[in-house]
Amino acid sequence: MLKLTNYSVSPVLENLNIEFDVGRTYIIMGSNGIGKSTLLHSIMGRPDLEVSGDVELNGENINEFEVDERAKAGMFIGFQSPTSIPGLSNFQFLKQALNTKGTEIRETLEKFKGLSQSLGLPEGWDKRNLNTDASGGEKKKNELIQMQMLNTSLAMLDEPDSGLDVDGIKALSKQLNEWRTADNTLIVVTHYEKLIESLNPDAIIVLKKDHVVGGGKELAQKIFAEGFDSV
Amino acid sequence: MKDADINAKQQYADGFITDVVSDSFPPGLDEQVVRNLSELKKEPEWLLDFRLKSFKRWQGMSEPQWGELDYEPIDYQALSYHSAPKFFEEGDIPQEILDTFEKLGVPLHERDALLGLDTSKPKQDNLIPTVAIDAVFDSVSVATTFKAELEKHGIVFCSISEAVQSHPDLVKKYLGSVIPYTDNYFATLNSAVFSDGTFVYIPPGVKCPMELNTYFRINARNTGQFERTLIIADEGSYVSYLEGCTAPAYDENTLHAACVELITMDDAEIKYSTVQNWYPGDENGVGGVYNFVTKRAKCEGKNSKVSWTQVETGSAITWKYPSCILKGEGSTGEFFSVAVTKGKQQADTGTKMIHIGKNTKSTIISKGISFGDSTNVYRGAVKINPGATNASNYTKCDSLMLQDSRALTIPYVTSQNSTATVEHEASAGKISEEQMYYLATRGFSEDDAMNLVVNGFCKDVFQKLPLEFAAEANKLLSVTLEGAVG
Repeated sequence: MLKLTNYSVSPVLENLNIEFDVGRTYIIMGSNGIGKSTLLHSIMGRPDLEVSGDVELNGENINEFEVDERAKAGMFIGFQSPTSIPGLSNFQFLKQALNTKGTEIRETLEKFKGLSQSLGLPEGWDKRNLNTDASGGEKKKNELIQMQMLNTSLAMLDEPDSGLDVDGIKALSKQLNEWRTADNTLIVVTHYEKLIESLNPDAIIVLKKDHVVGGGKELAQKIFAEGFDSV
Repeated sequence: MKDADINAKQQYADGFITDVVSDSFPPGLDEQVVRNLSELKKEPEWLLDFRLKSFKRWQGMSEPQWGELDYEPIDYQALSYHSAPKFFEEGDIPQEILDTFEKLGVPLHERDALLGLDTSKPKQDNLIPTVAIDAVFDSVSVATTFKAELEKHGIVFCSISEAVQSHPDLVKKYLGSVIPYTDNYFATLNSAVFSDGTFVYIPPGVKCPMELNTYFRINARNTGQFERTLIIADEGSYVSYLEGCTAPAYDENTLHAACVELITMDDAEIKYSTVQNWYPGDENGVGGVYNFVTKRAKCEGKNSKVSWTQVETGSAITWKYPSCILKGEGSTGEFFSVAVTKGKQQADTGTKMIHIGKNTKSTIISKGISFGDSTNVYRGAVKINPGATNASNYTKCDSLMLQDSRALTIPYVTSQNSTATVEHEASAGKISEEQMYYLATRGFSEDDAMNLVVNGFCKDVFQKLPLEFAAEANKLLSVTLEGAVG
């Protein structure tokens, strides 16, 4: 589904080779500053990152794809600290992103309200401005709504649990578990044991500077017990 | 993206020229031209006197130099001071002119004006139109719609030339009462040579049932447009007035020096909205409209209110400060502005709020957006006179800059009453890479992302525009921003 070959992002990551399969869930772990966020953003095509090597999406080389083209191809990144856009309401933003028109608008709004309600967001969330005057947790919930409403098939979430309260984390894992299907691939950067447990990932990938260590859930358990140097 | 690329994409959809036979005065300005103009319009003696004393005054004045503007001196003798399409003899409007306004989206036939309504709903026979239009082509008003409908309410909506004949007492009483003929260089020139414009009178207690719209079109080459608008809202009345402007893309600069005077009596309200899209000139700064405009309102009556809302995207040079004299006790003045400049455009715009009466309030919200090599200045004055007990003002000026553009905020505040409160907030910023990237990750192209950010930036002003105008402003803004991403 997503394949990185001889993949480097200057100056943090060197010569990585990773393959993500369709319909699977991956947890990415690694010590602070190793480049987990950088890896996700480089895959999304953030223009200021210096990348070498190849990225393939569903067999197609997307090295030259712009960020918006990658998004249109089904890729989504959930930001660790989402950016605010003053004067642009949450729903207006999604409506424009989906180019929703006419009778579809009501349907889209219903779906939006359903998702925001089940995440415990306040009434009138659709009219609130995008990530303006929102708490850290609320911004994270917003990312989750966007992930589900946009036509995402590859979701890369950068610490989606940080800033969320207990109920928020429950809602997060519930929605992620519902979203996962045979066609949807999920990559999550997290340090949170309970989230890893509840997602029951297919693989754990531990990021090192110039290689990766892959394994099952037991790899995460080992890290939690003995630290990153143990793997 | 380089400046050249941005400007290559600079679009001005309304830049076409209408081929119509016109009667124009030969270029030049002297006392005889003023007399000829007055005679052509069969004006009464008092109006000729008003023009002549203005002209005399103007001859001894010089152009103001304080604006942050840089332009070649205007040759006032090279301009024609009257140009009218030939049709009055036949008593009919040439098809070319009807087509022009149609092309600009300004329907003159009454039936077509109904298009302002939501057409998805079934049409009823008794539909009330939402917009009445006065269309001004060069120096004359060519058509005014829905006059009969408005007359039922006692509302006068006609060209000012017509009002001079039909309502001389009102015109005589109020013309120059807000903007004295001595006011400033351009207003004094306008007082001498104004050609046409709109006159509105709303009788006591009447809420005008539709939006009144004047559409100004400059067509003739080397002609100055000097329109004069006078709106009087009598006690307890209300009117929403809209103004739109375009001009062909000529290589020569065109001078537009208008005067707009508004008067509100007790409890009356005027909402005045402008979408100004005069030709801005080409990428090298050749051509474009010089827009030197004096707009002022006098809140004469108690608890009266005037709201100026403007979206300024056009003109090579904009020099314009719609202002309010808050004389009546408890009166309110508002100014909401979005000014966009790109290429070589220069805008020096803002407002003046003069607090005279007790408990007077004013609000100023200004959004300046500048691209390319343009200059965008907010210049505003808030003056609290000694008698303005408990007066309050709130000012917020935000600017958004891109590329090598310049944005300046110049506020002047004078308070002579210790009970008054004056608040001023200002911000200046650039569209961040982070915002553009975030929007790109959601699938937005650069142009669309820019549009979203800029629209969000302008939101609190766009919300003040009447619905149909807001849509037009949005559309205009997105055309203006096309390819402006750096």
